[in-house]
Amino acid sequence: MSADYVLMKGNEAIAEAALRAGCRFYAGYPITPQSEILEYMSVNMEKRGGTFIQGENEIASMSMLFGASAAGARVMSSSSGPGFDLKQEEISYLTSNNLPAVLVNSMRYGTGDGEITPGQDSYWVSTRGGGHGDKRLIVLAPASVNECAELTYLAFDLAEKYRNVVEILTDGAISQMIEKCTLPPAKEHDIDKFDWTLTGKPLGVKKNKMNNLTNIIGHPAYSEMMLNKFKTMFSEEQRWESVMTDDAELILVAYGISSRVCKTAVREARAAGIKLGLIRPITVWPFPRKAFENLPESVKGFVTVEMSISSQMGEDIMMAARNSKPLYGCLTNVNIPKAKEIVDFCLDVLAGKVEPMEVI
Amino acid sequence: MPVYKTPKSIIAPSGCCGGCGHGIIQRLIAESIEELGLQDQVIACVDIACSEWSLDCLDYDHIAGPHGRIASVATGIKKVRPDKTVYALAGDGSSYVIGWTETTYAAVRDIPITMIVVNNGIFGMTGGQMNLATTLIGDKTVSSKAGRRRETMGHPVDMLQAIKTFDVEFAARGALYDTKHIDETKRFIKKGFENQRDNKGFSIIEVLSPCPTNWKLDPVDAMEKIKNENEKVFPVGVYTDRGGNK
Ligand SMILES: Cc1ncc(C[n+]2csc(CCOP(=O)(O)OP(=O)(O)O)c2C)c(N)n1
Ligand code: SF4
Repeated sequence: MSADYVLMKGNEAIAEAALRAGCRFYAGYPITPQSEILEYMSVNMEKRGGTFIQGENEIASMSMLFGASAAGARVMSSSSGPGFDLKQEEISYLTSNNLPAVLVNSMRYGTGDGEITPGQDSYWVSTRGGGHGDKRLIVLAPASVNECAELTYLAFDLAEKYRNVVEILTDGAISQMIEKCTLPPAKEHDIDKFDWTLTGKPLGVKKNKMNNLTNIIGHPAYSEMMLNKFKTMFSEEQRWESVMTDDAELILVAYGISSRVCKTAVREARAAGIKLGLIRPITVWPFPRKAFENLPESVKGFVTVEMSISSQMGEDIMMAARNSKPLYGCLTNVNIPKAKEIVDFCLDVLAGKVEPMEVI
Repeated sequence: MPVYKTPKSIIAPSGCCGGCGHGIIQRLIAESIEELGLQDQVIACVDIACSEWSLDCLDYDHIAGPHGRIASVATGIKKVRPDKTVYALAGDGSSYVIGWTETTYAAVRDIPITMIVVNNGIFGMTGGQMNLATTLIGDKTVSSKAGRRRETMGHPVDMLQAIKTFDVEFAARGALYDTKHIDETKRFIKKGFENQRDNKGFSIIEVLSPCPTNWKLDPVDAMEKIKNENEKVFPVGVYTDRGGNK
């Protein structure tokens, strides 16, 4: 067994892990800070016998991906900010046909064209979005380059297991940073593996007619199937990391780039005798509610650390904690949080100087 | 008297309104495919508008795509299954208005699929609104009740004139108002499938097709309108035929 250590950018690790997971169709449209995924695919996809298409826009790219997924391939697309908005309609179509796909949303900060710098304010569009109608996307939030590779590799299996869209939610910082990473082994995917794909079958053989599953199996069966799927994903796929929560007085909650800084903050606070802990959601949908069960009596509250204006993850924390403890918002909007800033904020919370947050 | 056998690919009646051109086009597709012996390897992509009525009618794997994006959906499928016969069937609203970009770039990429565009000068599925690309000046629709006016609503445009400049394999327009034109349309459609079989490049066939329901004409008058009015703006014939010489 040879360990495959490399030094890579987060975006490249995502692209390479996708290829190793057997992804053989990529279509997308350039936008910072995720363009390296597209560029990596443009160089490497054909070498693995797959298709790379630089689409005329995000909607067309997603429609090509919709067709490719229906035809049985493992497929991926990636975008950010306004580009990810344009993918919503097809996410809904993928859902309505129970089709798997892996999408990457590398968050840039801001509304409208916003900034090209990192942000975490597309949490809602990722965890609640996916276009019209009822749907749930599994959303994985890597916090290192290694996790970019690991979670992307996993994403293809999850997408297939549930026949669902799985999203990798990174940010400009995680996407752009260069770190050591272990790449997973390369595998091939068989496009004829499943019986639900479009293959072009002989006359007389039962055909697949992909047109809103509701038209084929009816609304009651569709609703039941979807609800079961959502419930199973919710109970089976929660992933998180808990850091020093056993005796914590305040628990930080953060994912992606913010969670890395929070780890430093926990370390520095502990060195100064302040008992901070951290819950780092690895899946932001399903949000790891299990991480909030059986927390010690010592916990006085939660501090959400996010790069956004309003706390987007706050609602999920409140639901997970069942409103049992106050929630405080350390919201740094366009800036990446600093460890000292977080520790100082927590000291103020413990000194009763900060009002608990209303999630608005 | 010639006897016309129903193609084996047709397994149910078309769901279209009486006198609609969509049904004739579905039959021409099935006949062409069977005459070329391609019936056991077809993947059909239909737009969610009135093209979708063929979904249960033809015995092929089918996918109904997002409105307007059908050339892209077909592109994705053809890339994954290049040996299969992949066709895209869509209305003129889908292909030339909301999805003009997608149609254009499937053509520019020269994807070897067969695309069939139903030009009925109207948005059929949604109740007969004006089509920016194909509704004639003066035609009354539910969103141009006093008739289409050039000053405020622009004018119809012959998209095949544009497509032919994209260096595609084949672009042609047919009509359905008499047997001569139906035969010619069938030759165009068959040629589109032949080109795909021979991996020659993008083929597009537009068909002037009646929508008696939304035109509020009986089927015969609807055919007469195409002959006397629509064909004058949208002439039938071959627009480009590269003959396999890329
Ligand atoms: C994004 C989106 N916009 C609008 C619609 C509603 N819609 C469905 S079909 C259609 C127009 C159909 O016209 P055309 O493409 O010409 O096909 P026809 O029904 O005439 O064959 C519209 C506007 C939709 N389904 N999706
Ligand atoms: S509405 Fe028009 S285009 Fe649609 S099926 Fe009826 S006649 Fe045909």
